[in-house]
Amino acid sequence: MANEKVDVVIVGAGASGSVYAAVLAKAGKKVVLLESGPDWQLGDLISSDFWGRRIKPAGPPFLLEGKNPYGYVYQSGWGVGGAALHYFANFPRLMPNDFKVKSTYGKGLDWPIDYADIAPYWDKVADDVGVSGDAKAEEIWRPAGKPYPMPPMKTFPGGDAWKKGFEAVGLRLTPAAVGINSTEYKGRPACIYDGWCHVGCPIGALSNPLVTYLGDARKAGAEVRAHATVTRVLTSADGKRVTGVEYFDAKKEKQVQEASIVVLAAWSAQNPRLMLNSATDKHPNGLANASGLLGKYLTAHFSSGTSAMFDEDLQPYMGTIAAQYFSYDLYDKNAHKDKGAFGSTFMVAGSAQRYSALGGVANARVDLFGAELAAFMKRAARGYTRIGAFGEEMPAIDNRVELAGDKDEFGMPLGKITHGFNDDAVALFNANFDKGLEIAKATGAKEVWSNKGAMPTIHLMGGTIMGHNANDSVTDSYGTTHEIPNLWIAGPGIFPTSGAPNPTYTIFALSLRGAENLAKNWGAFAG
Amino acid sequence: MDEIQRRAFMKGAAIGAIAFSVGGAEVMLTPRQAHAQNVPLRTLTPEQAATLGAMGEALVPGAKDAGVVNFVDQQLSIPAEQALLEARIMNVRPPYANFYRAALGAIEAASQTKFSKAFTALTPAEQHDFIDLMRQNKLDAWKGPGSPFVYFLLRTDAVDVVYGTMDGYAHLGVPYQPHIAPTQSW
Repeated sequence: MANEKVDVVIVGAGASGSVYAAVLAKAGKKVVLLESGPDWQLGDLISSDFWGRRIKPAGPPFLLEGKNPYGYVYQSGWGVGGAALHYFANFPRLMPNDFKVKSTYGKGLDWPIDYADIAPYWDKVADDVGVSGDAKAEEIWRPAGKPYPMPPMKTFPGGDAWKKGFEAVGLRLTPAAVGINSTEYKGRPACIYDGWCHVGCPIGALSNPLVTYLGDARKAGAEVRAHATVTRVLTSADGKRVTGVEYFDAKKEKQVQEASIVVLAAWSAQNPRLMLNSATDKHPNGLANASGLLGKYLTAHFSSGTSAMFDEDLQPYMGTIAAQYFSYDLYDKNAHKDKGAFGSTFMVAGSAQRYSALGGVANARVDLFGAELAAFMKRAARGYTRIGAFGEEMPAIDNRVELAGDKDEFGMPLGKITHGFNDDAVALFNANFDKGLEIAKATGAKEVWSNKGAMPTIHLMGGTIMGHNANDSVTDSYGTTHEIPNLWIAGPGIFPTSGAPNPTYTIFALSLRGAENLAKNWGAFAG
Repeated sequence: MDEIQRRAFMKGAAIGAIAFSVGGAEVMLTPRQAHAQNVPLRTLTPEQAATLGAMGEALVPGAKDAGVVNFVDQQLSIPAEQALLEARIMNVRPPYANFYRAALGAIEAASQTKFSKAFTALTPAEQHDFIDLMRQNKLDAWKGPGSPFVYFLLRTDAVDVVYGTMDGYAHLGVPYQPHIAPTQSW
C-alpha cells in the first residue's frame, strides 16, 4: 500500500531520529518517523529491573561473531526513544585530540571536522534538553564554551568516597555533566535521585527523547508510526536519488512511504543492514557503497571497573545511574604507552547501585554463589561503590556488519556483526584495571578488587563513517551520503573514531548540526 | 512538585504481577505466590523444573521459595518480545525455551556423569563443588551451552527473584524508592 508522499521519512525514533524530526517539523516539513518497536509512554517506565528489560530490543536478532562478539541488546533501543529511553544520560563530550588521530599518531582515522565544528552544537543541545554540570571546571581539559543551564547534581557518599583516591594518584575529578535536571527546567521537574534512570525516567527529569526532541517533533506535527519495520530504501531508476522506503506495518502488511528525503537513524548496525539490503543494479553492493566501506569500521567502548567496600554507610542506592564525577586526566592517547596501550580513557565515579540485573551489585562478585553470595549482598547493601574507566579502540576494517544467510519474518537477511579488539585496546583495558586498583587502595576502603571478566563491548559506533569523499567514507560530516544527496545517515554510525566518552551527547550534537544544515539548504538536497 | 507528589503521580499506571494459569483462568500473581500455590507449569517438564529449582536455590538461597521455577516457566511461555528474562539482555536467540532446555539437560547429564546422581539428589557440598566447576568451565562431561554462561544466566534468574524485588530490597535493608512501583512487590 502506498501512502501520501511526505517531505521526510525518518527510520528510527531514537536519539538522532528525534532531533531530525524536531528540527525539520519545526521548519514546516511534513515528517513521518517509522519505528520498529512500540510507542512507549512515560507510564510504561516502571521502576524495576525486571520490567526495564521490556524496553530492550526484541526484533530480529543480529548474529554475533569474532574474537570479542558485540553484545548489543543491553545497550540498544526498541521503540520510541530508542536506547536514549534507558540511557544513563552521562553527557561527556569528545576532546580536541579525538579528531585527527590518524594524522597525529598514524593510527585509526581522521574526522573531516574538528572539535570547534561540533562545540556550538554541544552548547545548543545543553540548552535544548537541559544539562547539569560545571562547564568552567571542565576547562582544565577542553576549550571554553557556554555554561551549562543547570548547576551540578547533588553528590552522595558513594561518589565522594572516591575523591581521596583520585587525589592521591594525581587525577582530577570534576562534577559530571549529565542530561538530568538538578533543578526544574523547561517545565520538567528536578531529579529525586532514586537511581532508576536505566529502566526509564517517567517523571521527565532525565532528558529522554519523549520529553525533549521527540516531544517537540510531535508538537510540531511529526507523525510517529510504531511497529513499522523498514526493509528497503527505494531508489529511482537511474539510481541517483532515493524515493522512499518499504516497510511492514503493525499488521505485518507491506507499505511504501515515499519522501523527498530519507534519514536512516536506526542504529549503527541496522542502517548498514538496510542499505546493504537495498542493493540495485545501479548500487550492486548496497546504497552509497562505492567506497566498499558500508558496514565497516565498527567501534565499541570497553570498561575496566574497580570495586570498593567500605564499613561506612555510603547510601549506594542514592543518586542517578549517571556518574557523580568524571575525569579526562587519562585522555591522552598515549597515557598508558608504558604498558603498550594506545587510546583515550574516560573515568567515571559514583553511579547509584541497583542490586539485581546486569549492572547490579550481585554481579560485582560474579564468582560468588550460595551462602557466600548472600553474605556479600548484606555487606554490599550499604558499603559498596565502584568506578569505571571507559577505553577507546581504534577503528579496524574487519569489525563490520554484513548480511547473513538467515532471514527474518519479513524475508530480510539478518545482520551479522563481527567484532574483535586489537592489542592496543586489550593493553588499555588491562592498564586501566591497574590504575583503578591504585586509586581504590588510596581511598582507605576495607576491601578493593577489579571487576575483570570477558572484555565487554559497550556502545556501537561506525559502520557508515563520515569522511571527505566517496572513496574514503560513506557520508560527509553532516551525514549526507556522498553518492545520493537525499539519503542521510544519523547517529553514532557516522563516527570515524569513537573517543572514550559515552556517545549520546555527541549523537545529539551531530544530529542537530546535520538537521539544521538540511533545513537551511533544503532545496539543494530535496530537489 | 515535591518528592511525594512526584512519586505518586504515576500511581495507577503500574503493572507488576505476571499472568499464571490457575484452574483454567488467568490470574495475576508474583512468582513467590505462584510457587506457594503450586501453580501448574506451562513449559518445563517436572524434571527440568526440579533441576532448575535445586540449582536456583544452590546459587541464591531463597530462590526456590521466591518462585524462580514459576518465573522462568511463565516467561518461557510468552512471546519473546514480552519476556523479562536476563536471557533477552544477553543476546540469547529466541525462543528462550531452547536455551533453558539445553542448559538444564546439560546440568542433569553432567551430574549423572560426575556423581551418578541427579543434581537434585546431590548433597549440598556436592552441589557446591559441581557449581564451582561449572562456573569455571571445568566440568569435563559438560555438553550444551557454555557452562559459565549457563551459570551466569541461572544465577541472574535466581538473583532476580530474591534480590530484584521490593521484598528483596527490604531484606537487604535498602529503600526501593520507585517512581512507578511494580504492584505486588516486583
